[in-house]
Amino acid sequence: MSSQVTTVATPVVRPATERRRIGSLAWHVGALLVLAVVLYPVIWVLGASFKPSKDIIASLDLLPTKPVWANFSGLADGISGISITSFFTNSLMYAGLAVVGVVISSSLTAYAFAKIRFAGRNLLFTLMIGTLLLPYHVLLIPQYVLFRNLGYIDTLVPLVAGKFLATEAFFVFLMVQFMRGLPRELDEAAKLDGCGHLRTYWSIVLPLSRPAIITSAIFTFINAWNDFMGPLIYLNTPSKYTVSLGLMMFRDQEGISNYGSMIAMSLVALVPVVAFFMAFQRYLIDGMATSGLK
Amino acid sequence: MTLVKEAPVRPAGKRSAAPAPGRHGRRRENLAGYLFMSPWIAGFLLLTAGPMIASLYYAFTSYNLFTPPQWVGLDNFTTMFQDPRWQKSVEVTLKYVVVATPLKLLLALGVALLLAQKRRGQALYRAAFYMPSLIGASVSVGFVWRALFSDDAVVDRTQKVFGLDVGGWIGNPDYVLYALVALSIWQFGAPMVIFLAGLKQVPRELYEAAEVDGAGPFRRFWNITLPMISPVLFFNVLLESIHAFQVFGSAYVVSDTRCGPADATLVYTCYLYQKGFKEAQMGFASAMAWTLVIAVALVTAVLFWSQKKWVHYEEAAK
Amino acid sequence: MPKNGNVERRTILKAAGASAVALGLAATAGCGGDSGAGDGNVTLRYAWWGGEPRTIAIKKTIALFEKKYPKIKIKPEFTDYAAFWEKFQTQASGGNPPDVFQNAVGFLRKYDKRGVLMDLKTQADAGNLSLEDFRNGVLANGQVDGKQIGIPVGANTMALVIDLKAFEKAGVEAKFGWTWDEYFDALQTIQDKLKIAGDTGYFTIMYLYDLYLRQNGKAFFTDTDLGFTEDDLTLWWEDGYKRVKSGLVADPKKIEQVAPKSGLSAGLAASEFTWDNFSIRYEGEGESDYGLAPIPTTDGKDTGQYLGSLMLSAFSGTKHPKEVAQFIDFMVHDPEVGKIMGYDRGILATTEQYAAFKPTDPNNKGVSAYEDEVAKAGVLGKITPHPSGADVIEAAFLRIGGEIAQGKTKPADGAKALFGEAKAAFAG
Repeated sequence: MSSQVTTVATPVVRPATERRRIGSLAWHVGALLVLAVVLYPVIWVLGASFKPSKDIIASLDLLPTKPVWANFSGLADGISGISITSFFTNSLMYAGLAVVGVVISSSLTAYAFAKIRFAGRNLLFTLMIGTLLLPYHVLLIPQYVLFRNLGYIDTLVPLVAGKFLATEAFFVFLMVQFMRGLPRELDEAAKLDGCGHLRTYWSIVLPLSRPAIITSAIFTFINAWNDFMGPLIYLNTPSKYTVSLGLMMFRDQEGISNYGSMIAMSLVALVPVVAFFMAFQRYLIDGMATSGLK
Repeated sequence: MTLVKEAPVRPAGKRSAAPAPGRHGRRRENLAGYLFMSPWIAGFLLLTAGPMIASLYYAFTSYNLFTPPQWVGLDNFTTMFQDPRWQKSVEVTLKYVVVATPLKLLLALGVALLLAQKRRGQALYRAAFYMPSLIGASVSVGFVWRALFSDDAVVDRTQKVFGLDVGGWIGNPDYVLYALVALSIWQFGAPMVIFLAGLKQVPRELYEAAEVDGAGPFRRFWNITLPMISPVLFFNVLLESIHAFQVFGSAYVVSDTRCGPADATLVYTCYLYQKGFKEAQMGFASAMAWTLVIAVALVTAVLFWSQKKWVHYEEAAK
Repeated sequence: MPKNGNVERRTILKAAGASAVALGLAATAGCGGDSGAGDGNVTLRYAWWGGEPRTIAIKKTIALFEKKYPKIKIKPEFTDYAAFWEKFQTQASGGNPPDVFQNAVGFLRKYDKRGVLMDLKTQADAGNLSLEDFRNGVLANGQVDGKQIGIPVGANTMALVIDLKAFEKAGVEAKFGWTWDEYFDALQTIQDKLKIAGDTGYFTIMYLYDLYLRQNGKAFFTDTDLGFTEDDLTLWWEDGYKRVKSGLVADPKKIEQVAPKSGLSAGLAASEFTWDNFSIRYEGEGESDYGLAPIPTTDGKDTGQYLGSLMLSAFSGTKHPKEVAQFIDFMVHDPEVGKIMGYDRGILATTEQYAAFKPTDPNNKGVSAYEDEVAKAGVLGKITPHPSGADVIEAAFLRIGGEIAQGKTKPADGAKALFGEAKAAFAG
């Protein structure tokens, strides 16, 4: 009699925790499944770069049975006399300049929109938002003609000029929203202390806007690193190619005979982007959440 | 939640931070403003407004870069509308936008809902799901994608298990576009992060109140979550659609630069690139560009107009 | 006195102004300009297309040249075929193409029309460039309207590359003078016995269709237009599509996928039409043995073949015409250069280079023997420089042919589309 009572009692005591644990398990299983599918290509390229060229498409194993270094050592030879490092240096220079340009020009512009009441501010702001929604195609050809007439083809100038002139409306917008969220008392106090706008910008608003600035820097770096169409149109000399063009050149020159090295270079090309992101990613999520859409 | 449209409106309380009164102060403010704005103004005139006007002009000319542009009136547009390859590029692009964008956003929202709950390793998952957005636009991934969707590669073999053999997506004109769609959906991390930000803003009290009222998870989602994140949803739909119309790099690399086979991946930008930079028909390419601008403007206008029907801003909800 | 002083001052100011302008121009000229002031050193930009072996070889020949002409520096620009012409077009349109560059017969008229190509006869008359000792009359390939705007570096012809092992296993043989029917029968035998396709897509290759037309008294291009009718092309493409459906021509989906690798090297088919100097790539790309076979004929004799060539051309507006001529002269005549390049750009065009390079590997030997046979058979025809727009038409032919192969376009519609695009290309 007593045993029956006890066995009935036990399940009634703990249903909520059981349900929570099953729910948690289900959640993790689901998340892991999505993760597996999402990360499959990444793991694939990792594994493929260690497989001999022939096996890369043929074999279905994710990871090589006998890893080889040949693909990577093949990279050291470069492509037709251009070393891989020159591609990386060029990309780094492009991305670096782009980041500097965007940070400076976008923050200046954002400060003006957010903190200075000047005539025509609303109109210019609307114009700027308009450029956000403008397809770039309509600018592509005239910009090309412009830079050609100025003699800047085959240089980085056409690629980074816009970044120094705040043409990246997305980042201006991001920073404007962020700066608007900063407490007004700070710049009011600065004004009472006799600070002009330049000092307020430099000493107060800019440091406080760090999350938005870092977010912009990260995205600018990544976009510049991955940029393909810009370098395709403006860069002619192989020694000036960025990584994205270098990869295409690899495909042209060697992609057929040296498929493995092409995959290895694809992997290596991804590393800086991922590393950059890993290093700064915590600022990213905060920056977006706060300044995002209020 | 205020959004793009509300931004130019003078936010409440700004007036108290007004600069020194009088014309003198105002002039100083204007001067300061324009000084700070000078890079943007230079950029706007030189790299945006100027080129826009120039390309509008080119659209009505025949211009092969060697000889000065020659006025041809509406010829470019009439040729364009009758050009079967142009029509194909429109069809391909529309198909891409209409299929990829909703799927991508659905996945982004779904995963965001998952990640919004406090679980262990949440930050790790978030970073991992975001990674494809980082690298998706790269040439590297283009190569990988081409390999993965080839005959006898993973996608094909998985399909064969279910008895569906299309001989690899890359070589098949009926399927290759969907490889691009898959690539787009794979990069759901970016809109997901934005959804997450939006979900975080939803006040817990609303959910708790609803639970007390006996609302199940679906009703809570439909009546609370969805309306509360509708501004974020609007933002995502707008931005993702506009980006989708402009796709180029992935089509170019995945199709091995030919945007085929049989023009199956001839997205609008690819055709514009071919016409402008391969065949040196800059006038025609400019006409294509302006047609795209008008199309995107129409889509944007429709989206903005539709806001009234389904986007709830905090002020309105109150 | 004062007058002299004024003149002096004015001259100095003028000189200062001029140098300021020059500095400013130099600053904005990007890296495309060449130095040439004062120190006697000249830099020439030299551009070509091709794969890595060609690039490595050319760089070696450049080093040789710079040793012989220490005052001339060469700045190399290289890329693949399609990108080369895109870049060239935009550079040339800006008045800034390379000083000397690789060229092909399909582009001569296009750029001559735009005044981009230098008539090298003047340089030859000045003694900087020799037009003697070219084999088999290929010098004519670079002539348009009496102007010498291209100097051949190599001669090549359209050829058939076959998988030797496959042909052997199936027991079929390629014979000189065999007809198209015999060719397709052989392919059918291969398909029946080995279960692989016979060819990779012959009907999308413009230059092959050109041969077929020449066998039948026509040609792909006349001086200014297409040399055949829509019905001709419809028939050619209808036959092609029938063969795709029967499997005699490889599945275009599979061919598409292995790109940029060739379908032949991937083992998808047993033969492929291409330029004879390209045949060298198959050895490295594929698993089997590959060799050159005769082009099928219509009448049992005439293959319609002609010698085309890759050539070197010069920019009409180059600042250093003499040095450019010297460079071209070195590149086409110097025996060492011939030894280094081998048959990568075609059989060496000048007698000095041809004599200097004795092919030792089977591939190059095969190419040389092939062209000898072709020349001996007396089938070589004359080539007319293609009209402006030929390159666009070649791309359209390939693309539309591909659509027909995939079953996406009907042959008649495809032919109509090609004619439409050709009309636009000629006008452009």
